[in-house]
Amino acid sequence: MIVCVAVVGHQNNPLYIQSFTDADDALKLHHIVHCSLDVVDERVNNPKKSGPTLNETFLGLLYPTENYKVYGYLTNTKVKFILVTTDLDVRDADVRNFFRRFHAAYVDAVSNPFHVPGKKITSRTFADRVSTIVQSFGLSSAA
Amino acid sequence: MANYLAQFQTIKSACPCMIVAVEDVSDIWPTVKSSFEQRLPFKKACLNNKTRNPVFLENLRAEFVLTTDARLRSRFPQEQYLFWFREPYATLVLATCEDLDEFKNILKPRLKVFAQNDEREWFIVFVSKAHPSNDQATKMAKKVYAKFEADFSSKKRERCCKFDIHGPEPNFWEELEFRIIESVKNTLDRRIQFYEDEIRKLSEQRFMPIWNFCNFFILKESLAFMFEIAQLHEDALREYDELELCYLETVNMGGIYREFGGLDRGDDQAALLNPGKKSLTQIVLDETFREFEFRQYLFACQSKLLFRLNRSFEVASRGHSFIISFSKSLQSNESMLPFCMREVWVITACLALIDATGTKYNGEDEAPEIVKEFYRVQGDLYSLCRTKLLRLAYLIGYGTEIERSPVNSASLSMLPWPRPAVWPSVPDEASSEVDVKEKMLQQESPRARHFGLQRKPLPLEPTVLVGEANRRRTSFSVGNASEIFYAGRIDDGLASNESSKQSPADKVQAIMMSRTYSSPGNFDCSIGRRPMRLAEIFVAAEYALKKTISNPDLQKILLSVESFEQKYMELTKGAADSYHHSWWKRYGVVLDGEIAAVCFKRGNFDLAAKSYEKVCALYAGERWEDLLAEVLPNLAECQKSLDDLAGYLTSCVRLLSLDKGLFSAKERQVFQSEVVSHAHSEMARHVHLDVSSLITFSGNPGPPMALCDGDPGTLSVTVWSGFPDDITLDSISLTLMATYNADEGGKLRNSSATCLKPGRNPITFPLPPQKPGSYVLGVLTGHVGHLTFRSHSFSRGGPADSDDFMSYEKPTRPILKVFKPRPLADLSAAISSALLINETQWVGIIAQPLKYSLKGAVLHIETGPGLMIEESHSIEMERYRNSAQGSADTANSGDAAKDCSSAANKHLEKLCLVNGKIDFPEWASDVSSILWIPIRAIDDKLARGSSSGGPDRQSVVDRMRTLALKLEFGISKNQIYERPVTLHFSDPFHVTTRIVDQCDDDTLLLQVTLHSQLNATLSVYDVCLDLQAGFIHAGKGNGRPISGSFPLIISPTSKVGLLFRLCSKKRSAEDENKVSPENILNIRYGISGDRTIGAHPPLAMKSNETGDTGRGLSFRSTLILQQPILNPCLAVGFLPLPSDCFRVGQLVTIKWRVERLKDNEEKRVPQNNDEMLYEINVNSDKWMLAGRKRGHVSLAMKQGSRIVISILCMPLVAGYIHPPRLGLPDVNEANISCRPAGCHMVCVLPPAPSSSFCISA
Repeated sequence: MIVCVAVVGHQNNPLYIQSFTDADDALKLHHIVHCSLDVVDERVNNPKKSGPTLNETFLGLLYPTENYKVYGYLTNTKVKFILVTTDLDVRDADVRNFFRRFHAAYVDAVSNPFHVPGKKITSRTFADRVSTIVQSFGLSSAA
Repeated sequence: MANYLAQFQTIKSACPCMIVAVEDVSDIWPTVKSSFEQRLPFKKACLNNKTRNPVFLENLRAEFVLTTDARLRSRFPQEQYLFWFREPYATLVLATCEDLDEFKNILKPRLKVFAQNDEREWFIVFVSKAHPSNDQATKMAKKVYAKFEADFSSKKRERCCKFDIHGPEPNFWEELEFRIIESVKNTLDRRIQFYEDEIRKLSEQRFMPIWNFCNFFILKESLAFMFEIAQLHEDALREYDELELCYLETVNMGGIYREFGGLDRGDDQAALLNPGKKSLTQIVLDETFREFEFRQYLFACQSKLLFRLNRSFEVASRGHSFIISFSKSLQSNESMLPFCMREVWVITACLALIDATGTKYNGEDEAPEIVKEFYRVQGDLYSLCRTKLLRLAYLIGYGTEIERSPVNSASLSMLPWPRPAVWPSVPDEASSEVDVKEKMLQQESPRARHFGLQRKPLPLEPTVLVGEANRRRTSFSVGNASEIFYAGRIDDGLASNESSKQSPADKVQAIMMSRTYSSPGNFDCSIGRRPMRLAEIFVAAEYALKKTISNPDLQKILLSVESFEQKYMELTKGAADSYHHSWWKRYGVVLDGEIAAVCFKRGNFDLAAKSYEKVCALYAGERWEDLLAEVLPNLAECQKSLDDLAGYLTSCVRLLSLDKGLFSAKERQVFQSEVVSHAHSEMARHVHLDVSSLITFSGNPGPPMALCDGDPGTLSVTVWSGFPDDITLDSISLTLMATYNADEGGKLRNSSATCLKPGRNPITFPLPPQKPGSYVLGVLTGHVGHLTFRSHSFSRGGPADSDDFMSYEKPTRPILKVFKPRPLADLSAAISSALLINETQWVGIIAQPLKYSLKGAVLHIETGPGLMIEESHSIEMERYRNSAQGSADTANSGDAAKDCSSAANKHLEKLCLVNGKIDFPEWASDVSSILWIPIRAIDDKLARGSSSGGPDRQSVVDRMRTLALKLEFGISKNQIYERPVTLHFSDPFHVTTRIVDQCDDDTLLLQVTLHSQLNATLSVYDVCLDLQAGFIHAGKGNGRPISGSFPLIISPTSKVGLLFRLCSKKRSAEDENKVSPENILNIRYGISGDRTIGAHPPLAMKSNETGDTGRGLSFRSTLILQQPILNPCLAVGFLPLPSDCFRVGQLVTIKWRVERLKDNEEKRVPQNNDEMLYEINVNSDKWMLAGRKRGHVSLAMKQGSRIVISILCMPLVAGYIHPPRLGLPDVNEANISCRPAGCHMVCVLPPAPSSSFCISA
């Protein structure tokens, strides 16, 4: 289950963060997303480590813990997408697919002439679209 | 094969290094042993690794073992192959022999036995006992050795070397070492080949039923061990890696039930660095390898090799992933394992890894990336350990001590509870402890947060513990499952469904209730039948854990809250420090925050504040406001406890400037009231507070305010207040910054109390005069009590935007432009020349505003010498319209023109000069106006006429007068414009005279010309000439001109002539008294001019003079007349010269003719004779005179008589020289007329060339 998705700006400022848990514990997800930026930074600053995936936007699994997984995605404008899932068996392809759709949604949201670049995304359409994407996550593999 | 395992292990442990067998044929080993063993370990060696590549090794360890040794004897051949690695890698045959017979008969047959054994790598060391001084023995030894070589060495391979007991040859040891290594290498190659073949055979059977992992393991490990003793650690490691892979495959293949293991006492302590913790026989059970032990064993072997390879980092990183994956295995087998075995194992594993890698790691040679990565892994290990410790602590009831921070919540709330088969129940003897826990739970209350903030604490538990524990208990027992389930539901519901409806305070209470779940006394039935209470769960867990944990240290840690907290701090600090050394700064800082929380709780505010500041800076720097809102109140509280008022108030302001959704309105009001109350309290010192994020300001939209240099103004600024309530500032000031120079700028101050409402507030500042340039807004400063607010945040016409990164970038749009000094108004004289002197004249002063209002302007007028203002007349002011400018003026200032149209209609306004000042009327503020000032220039001197052609004109400067004007204008009379105006006054006429003709009767015709000096038309009504002594008017003249047809009209700058007839005549004495000493021309004239053009009729001074004015003005001018002076009676003429040129030395006759012109009896010389004195004036240097220079000639007195005077002279020099002149000393110069005039210069040629000097060719 995806518990949280987030868009983080190129200055590492949160642009959009949405948790999908029942409990009132969004803050811990904020923490997870925020700390995962360390890993993103590390990957970006250590091109040696990223190796062949240098030009790839999908950063892969950022931080495996026992209980949840954090995936990252870095657009060419240095905007990061972070996904936190409690699913421990996630297929890479699903995540890639998710990020691709999420990216498209993001691009549409920021293309809105009323959106100020660098500001938080407040579009309700974007939120709806994101929750649709989140809900459909992993369905293709399950089917 | 499993039977061999025990043996295998003993062999392994008994065989620490390579063995070199020594076949002591001649029993001399004891004598040479020490010198041989001194060579160990081998300094340098080169062995082939598995891929047959040479590997250079240093300090290869080996041991010399006699073949007769127990270790090398009594082995079955099968064993030998299996454990081949322990067999000697080289055999050294020690032999000595003193004569050839002995060699042939005894030694050679014995040695042949070795030589035929192909399986051994052997070589012979011939020990020579011959003393070097004993030549014969030496020779014999050489012979014997030669025999050895001939018999055993081959071309392919040398198998002999000679050792002199009394002094080995210098290169012997090297040779020996080389031979041994060569043998070892060969043996190793062969054995590797053997093992590889065996392993390949086994691998091929991998999927057959007969396949046995145990055999595979022994072979693989034997190979690995062989590599290890050959110090080929890399290869050994690879073998282990392959073994692990293979094992995991077999484990995951499933099918056969395998025992997991981990049930022995002490298994809770991880053995992942100690391969010898358990013997292999313990690990293997019925040919199956227990996963728990075996995987740890493999990892331990790997880590041992990695440490040998100095790769501590790899141990740590492999260890971390091993722990994670192993923890998963533990989880899947959790139901079989003791309670919380998994957590305890992870804790001990992490601690062991941290300890081992930390002590063995020296990152000096590593690349910086690796060092960072190592510390990252260390940090991960620390935090993993920390999480598990927290979980255990929670289970035994230390949950209240755990900070419900996002970090802890993130790591704990997603970590499932332990899943034992049955949740432990409370032992009977623990009822007292349950009561103690119960009381503890009841007493605890949530710590009140500063500012009265109410937040729902973050969860530390994945689900409600009571529900989970009871469910685990009941799932295996019959009874009140439904009830428990129900209880669980209630808890869940409280946590989720109703949370939306409840206020935060209620939520906190609900959570606390759900956690305690205390309802003592309600249940009569035994514990086994009813759901456990929370206190019971804690006590039960504690007991169960005591059973699980075998490590006394870990037990101690969980024994009391204090020791737990100490360990917790140790781990947190370890994690934070490690992360700080790595890339993961955020993790480090966040963990610093956890340390701060503990310090805070323990009252160590200083440390807490420092750490919290770091955390806040991290969150604030990247605008993670939600997280910041969690930490910032804590920081504020620390700062308050530390009496750091500035910090505390800054924190309050930061809290206020966070996103409005993060705190309720009430909470925000509390923040504000804190700030305000502290501001008005008795603070020890003034505190400066940066409120840029809360109060922003901007200038008004539109073009910047434009001011002229020196003008004050008022500046209106919009201030946005982010305070939730009104806030009253005692004063407010604003700096302006010049764009051209950051240091320049002014400060505006509005000292009255200002109330800032939430949102937009327009505020005006009085603006003192500024230097020219454009200005932007600088810093807004406000004072509240002892508090100074500063804001340098410029808003773009909206409230402070929390999304914006704090940018202190100055706005580029200027708010104010002060122009460079430029003329703002102009004063000039309408007509500055040719005003009538000595008469009252209007002088027009044009006051012209240059795009600047002259409202309220005051004109100061000061007159220069010789000029006065007729104060009896009022000053007139009217609109000035220049014909050239007029059209442009209206076009430019259409509005102004319209406004002033009424004023324009009003032609004249009379103003009064008060103390030399004139106040401008309202209508004149925007239009050019002209001021007519009545003035009079005074000049006492009479005008002087001049005779014709004479230069005697009066100097213009004499008639110049100045008027000093000073205009004060501008908003506060700050603008001053000063200008002296020069006015030129003039007489109406300039008079020139000329004697037109002198008649024979001594009558003179005097022509008087009147030149008009003015631009106005003059009418001459009457002219009268008063003559001086010596002249009278001819005839019955009364001083009027001959023909007078008055009035004469003189157009501007034209002239008119008058003719007077006079004659010179002596007057009587009485007449002398009457007449003036000068000739004075009295003119009565009128003027018809316009003041706008120049001279004009003077103002009527007084009413009684009106008549006078009607008759005209009068003007007097003096004229100079002289009696005639020239009266020639003699004419001297220079007669023409005889030739054009003279020559030096040539005699010349120069002649003058003197003629008497008239009989001037009056002037007659009293001598009364005809004699006339003459004199030749000549330069004697240039002329030589022949004859008399001076003498008398006779000339008749009669008119017309003439005489020629000639003189002979000779020029002395060549060139142009003055000729001699004739002078008549007795006759006045005035009576001589030179006609024709003599020549001025004559040309004298050089003397003619003398022929005597000329010699013809």
